[in-house]
Amino acid sequence: MEITPDGKSDGKTGAPGYLLSRLEDWARESSIWPVTFGLACCAIEMMATGASRFDMARFGSELFRASPRQADLMIVAGRVSQKMAPVLREIYDQMPEPKWVIAMGDCASCSGVFNNYALIQGVDKIVPVDVYVPGCPPTPDALLDSLIKLKERVALDSRSARHGAQTTPGVGIARG
Amino acid sequence: MPITESGLQSTFEAGEVTIPADGIPTVRVPLDDLTRAVDKIRFELDHSRFVDVTAVDRLTPEDRFELVYLFYSLREKTWLRLKTRTDSEAPSITSSVPGANWYEREVFDLFGITFKGHPDLTRIMLPEDWQGHPLRRTVPIGAEPVDFTVTRSAYGSS
Amino acid sequence: MAVADTNDRRELLTVNMGPQHPSTHGVLRLELKLDGEVVVHCRPVIGYLHTGIEKTFEAKTYLQGVVLTDRMDYLNPLGNNLAYALSLEKLLQCEIPERATVLRVLLVEMTRIASHLMFIGSMALDLGASSPFLYVWREREKILDFFERMSGVRMMTSFIRPGGLVRDLEPALLESMSTFTDAMPSYIDSYEELLTANPIFKERTEGVGVLSGQDALDLGVSGPTLRAAGVALDLRKSNPYCGYESYDFAVPTGNVGDCYDRYLVRVAEMRESVKICRQALDQLPEGPVRTDDRKVMPPPREELAKSMEAVIHHFKLWTEGIKPPAGEAYVGVESPRGELGFYVVSDGSGRPIRVHERAPSFANLQALPKLTEGGAVADVVACIASLDPIMGESDR
Repeated sequence: MEITPDGKSDGKTGAPGYLLSRLEDWARESSIWPVTFGLACCAIEMMATGASRFDMARFGSELFRASPRQADLMIVAGRVSQKMAPVLREIYDQMPEPKWVIAMGDCASCSGVFNNYALIQGVDKIVPVDVYVPGCPPTPDALLDSLIKLKERVALDSRSARHGAQTTPGVGIARG
Repeated sequence: MPITESGLQSTFEAGEVTIPADGIPTVRVPLDDLTRAVDKIRFELDHSRFVDVTAVDRLTPEDRFELVYLFYSLREKTWLRLKTRTDSEAPSITSSVPGANWYEREVFDLFGITFKGHPDLTRIMLPEDWQGHPLRRTVPIGAEPVDFTVTRSAYGSS
Repeated sequence: MAVADTNDRRELLTVNMGPQHPSTHGVLRLELKLDGEVVVHCRPVIGYLHTGIEKTFEAKTYLQGVVLTDRMDYLNPLGNNLAYALSLEKLLQCEIPERATVLRVLLVEMTRIASHLMFIGSMALDLGASSPFLYVWREREKILDFFERMSGVRMMTSFIRPGGLVRDLEPALLESMSTFTDAMPSYIDSYEELLTANPIFKERTEGVGVLSGQDALDLGVSGPTLRAAGVALDLRKSNPYCGYESYDFAVPTGNVGDCYDRYLVRVAEMRESVKICRQALDQLPEGPVRTDDRKVMPPPREELAKSMEAVIHHFKLWTEGIKPPAGEAYVGVESPRGELGFYVVSDGSGRPIRVHERAPSFANLQALPKLTEGGAVADVVACIASLDPIMGESDR
């Protein structure tokens, strides 16, 4: 039996309950479908990861869903500008739980080369991030590595594998 | 007929003609002559293809911004640059050059120069409610101090 | 959600497309007003990728600025490097060795091939054909492998710098590029086999998004979009740079100016780029790839142990950077999207006072209302795909 983050028990008891939880975790980590959130240059490397040489589909990410309601992973691939930040937060809010975020690349992790007025300095200022991938852009191998790391954590416990899980609305976006 | 420096000077009596490092003939006219100069360049001098509009902040006490227009001639295969100086306003050339629409919006957004007669002068790059014009050289870049361990004593850790 | 438009007796439906959308080629937002399926009004909203790069240039030295240029048109990084380097070299009045010039042409044309491959893949994917995407990525990966072998980085190589190239290309790499160049025409044939005569592809692109030559010129459109509209303007032919006048290649144009023409022009351009690569590889001279001017390019490391002057040059370049004389320069080059140029304004110090990129996608996107208004909603996707916009350079 597990206690979920909001304090309630999930009602699964005993050995069948344990098996069911593990089955759930295995199902979740084996079919993480990302939402299409390619913003800039990292999006091209994300497409390379989806193409046949690196092939993300063999890790379970068969399809990129355009609708956030049907996705459980948001790979923020690229720089997030001031205008795009509310859109990012809205897409993140529209994704149903459990959901994960990979901050792909230097711009998503910490704004990379662009330490200026126009960009959000790291996407973790507005959404909680599970895995940061360094690189400008990260090679497809690095993105696959981040996906594998995410899957390892999800496989342990898919419901509370959220790093810094937030249930309240995100922090306000500072404007100049 | 190819453009020569003297030929250009005679077409624009009130203007200053120079040829900078890239070899593109450059005419500087007073702000009042801007619309007429654009028409002259596009029709008399046959540089009708529109290429670019931008601004440079020269930080002079008067006429601080330099507006730079770039045109191209399909027949002569040359560029021609038109410059003018302004403090805050300029006439829009969108009615004769539809392609200048977004370029003027961008200059308005980032420099704060208003273009009189523009059909839709709103911000294009920054959010609608942004305050300020970032590309002016008096506006700081807006960088965030980076949390390096060696500078923690100065900035503290963020 | 239907919005009743009081100026009109019809009820127009306002639909927002993007900025998060699988087919808008990045973060482009379109405010569409529809009358049933017909687009009555289209207003593109850009700025969702505004990165303040032009302001960032003013805070960096000229060499640090090269890194920023890669990230503007991210499907043409070497082309951006070249445009910036050419503008700076005009300011510096700097001579580039022969071998560097020919290698620059080779690298830029390889990048053009890679960009057009991506265009074919994404246009096909947007129109529903998912196989060509995987086919073109096979060749694109080969080109990215070449870039990785020469510089260590797949995409943002920053390899072409003011003064020449970072380093020479090894003979083994040039050999691989040569084999690739010979094999490429048959690969292009295989993509054409999938798409060019495909009835569904033709149905979705022929007659869709027609742009006339005069409209294109008035809007500042350039590149394959302008050439498909019938205007044969290619800056490599009309204002040659980097020795393009010595290469033998054609400039494909279209006659109708619809989406299908824009696709055909880009495929033909890819074939011409392969020809240019072949010629560049065949006529590659020996020699250095960096200029001798020590005020622009640093001295080789071996010289630092022997010459005091070399040490001083090295020191000045790494502390103050390149210091071009006060002035301005703009060199227009032909990127896969159109006329690209960097307008660099210098005041004699180590940092520019203004760097402005004349981005072809910014002007090309202005043509979108003309292309889409009067057509169906489904055609909007074909029109955007055929313009091949890159929001990174459009929003800078």
